[in-house]
Amino acid sequence: MPGARVVVEHVSRRYGKALVLDDVGFVVEPGELVALSGRSGSGKTTLLQLIGSLDKPTGGSIRVDDIQVEQLHNPARYRREVVGFVFQLHHLLPSLSAQQNIELPLVAAGVSRAERTRRSQELLEEVGLGDRPKALPSDLSGGERQRVAIARALAGQPRLILADEPTGSLDSTSARHIWELLGSVQESRGTTVIVASHDPSLAEHSDRALHIADGRMIAPADAGNEPQQLPDVA
Amino acid sequence: MTSLIQTLSSIRHRPGRTFLTALGTALGIATIVALLAVGAGAQRSAGQFFHLGASDLGLFQKDAADPTTSVLPQSMIKQLRKTPGIQSATGFVLLVSDVPHNPGVVVFGSTPANFEVDRMVFSAGHMFTGTHEAVIGDETAKQLHLRVGDTLHVKGHKLSIVGIYHLGVAFQDTGAFIPLRVAQSIAGRQDEVTTIPIELSVGTRPSTIKQVLAKRYPGISIIADGEESIRLGANGDLVSKAALVIAVLALVIGGIGVMNTELMAVIERRSEFAILSAVGWSARQIAWRVLIEGIVTTFLGAIIGLLLGVIGAHYLVKILGASEFVTPHITPWALGRALLIGVLIGVLGGLYPAWRAAHVSPARVLAQH
Repeated sequence: MPGARVVVEHVSRRYGKALVLDDVGFVVEPGELVALSGRSGSGKTTLLQLIGSLDKPTGGSIRVDDIQVEQLHNPARYRREVVGFVFQLHHLLPSLSAQQNIELPLVAAGVSRAERTRRSQELLEEVGLGDRPKALPSDLSGGERQRVAIARALAGQPRLILADEPTGSLDSTSARHIWELLGSVQESRGTTVIVASHDPSLAEHSDRALHIADGRMIAPADAGNEPQQLPDVA
Repeated sequence: MTSLIQTLSSIRHRPGRTFLTALGTALGIATIVALLAVGAGAQRSAGQFFHLGASDLGLFQKDAADPTTSVLPQSMIKQLRKTPGIQSATGFVLLVSDVPHNPGVVVFGSTPANFEVDRMVFSAGHMFTGTHEAVIGDETAKQLHLRVGDTLHVKGHKLSIVGIYHLGVAFQDTGAFIPLRVAQSIAGRQDEVTTIPIELSVGTRPSTIKQVLAKRYPGISIIADGEESIRLGANGDLVSKAALVIAVLALVIGGIGVMNTELMAVIERRSEFAILSAVGWSARQIAWRVLIEGIVTTFLGAIIGLLLGVIGAHYLVKILGASEFVTPHITPWALGRALLIGVLIGVLGGLYPAWRAAHVSPARVLAQH
């Protein structure tokens, strides 16, 4: 399935008096791997949540292919069929095995048990964990958990992957494996991938980098003039 | 089905929480089962009391709150015996709380020979013949450690025990029979009886005789079967209503308990619901999951509660000192009803937590983590 085209226009998000995103706009072409860089608290996570319809913008519009995201009446279906999320802390359900975690979006979609098993096993193979379908998250290393999380994000065969600090809690070796995995997803499937990270090596792995500071998009030339990055705590 | 399997898996991984939720339900259900069983047992006992063993009809004074307050003229017995279709009639005086050390013993004042006492099977001794003699039920003998030759005290009167009988009716086997005149003297009711049991001729329909007697004696209640006696028994009604009220209270309290526990579980598991929402579960699917969990947990609790209730009912009558005349009556319907109530508690108690779980904001919760 080809990747999605993402068009963000004049998007803002306000929480009370705090303006977290201010007139943000950009376009991501189908099949691109775009890095969204910025300091902690700059608005990266909020932006991904708006694109993924986990939240609604206060102003502006977000279009993913022909879907007007902020006007969705059934965001659950959009999240199930169009996007796949990868979070910094993997967010696997601790009581479910790796395979059951991967099957979660498929359960919601009403996919048959046999088909779910087949697809989840294929995805486990793809992320290099084909021999550990029954492992609980507590039995897996940080890098392995994140690979399961990526497999879960791919389960619904999405057109768009939104990854929020996917390597934020990993050591450098594990982080490199995750970048390779996201890269191969983009290449082999043509999926559009937007990765938010403050990891300096992000640019090496992406087709293009977008920079955000204090809720506003900034030009690449200005990105280097930002104050020195602080360790991300979120 | 998948949702159920995943729910069971989820429950299995939270044994502490599951146990506490199930325990809350179990206690509620145990209370309901115990009260319903004791209530049903009390009604049954009241029914036996009114119906008096083997009689086809039992006559009582109308609107008597309980059997011992009924007063009928003894002269009625002769008239009744002459009525076509009536094989035999006799009179009893019932005395309650007149035996020291065991107020549960019901003393029946009776003639030494009638169709009721003729059914007595004596394990020791024989029927009384003199005015200072008494016979006691085998359960009374066991409870009071009495034997033939010992003395039975009834409200200051000393009666020599001449026989120990078994009738197969709880109230009578935990009671005693004494001469009618002695009982009338103790009760201060000369020429009066409490009740008149009637035996019908073979082939006579109770309803026919009931009509005849109701017309002839407008001030009496005629009881033809156990169910009717329960309806007419004011005490049985009271017990039944009290059990119902307590069952409803248990339902409400149990429901609130389950809701509270479920709600706490939902609050603890907000990130889980946020993840489900993020991967495409709809609000309805999440709500169903929480609801199914609640129902499964309360179902487990209900099964434990049934066991506790059955055991608890027997202890309850002992604690209340009613074990002599009330045996908890546990029927499959009562157990099924308690199980249904358990599931109902699960559904009602799980509705609000399910709604809360379905409306968890994934953006806010995941950002906090």
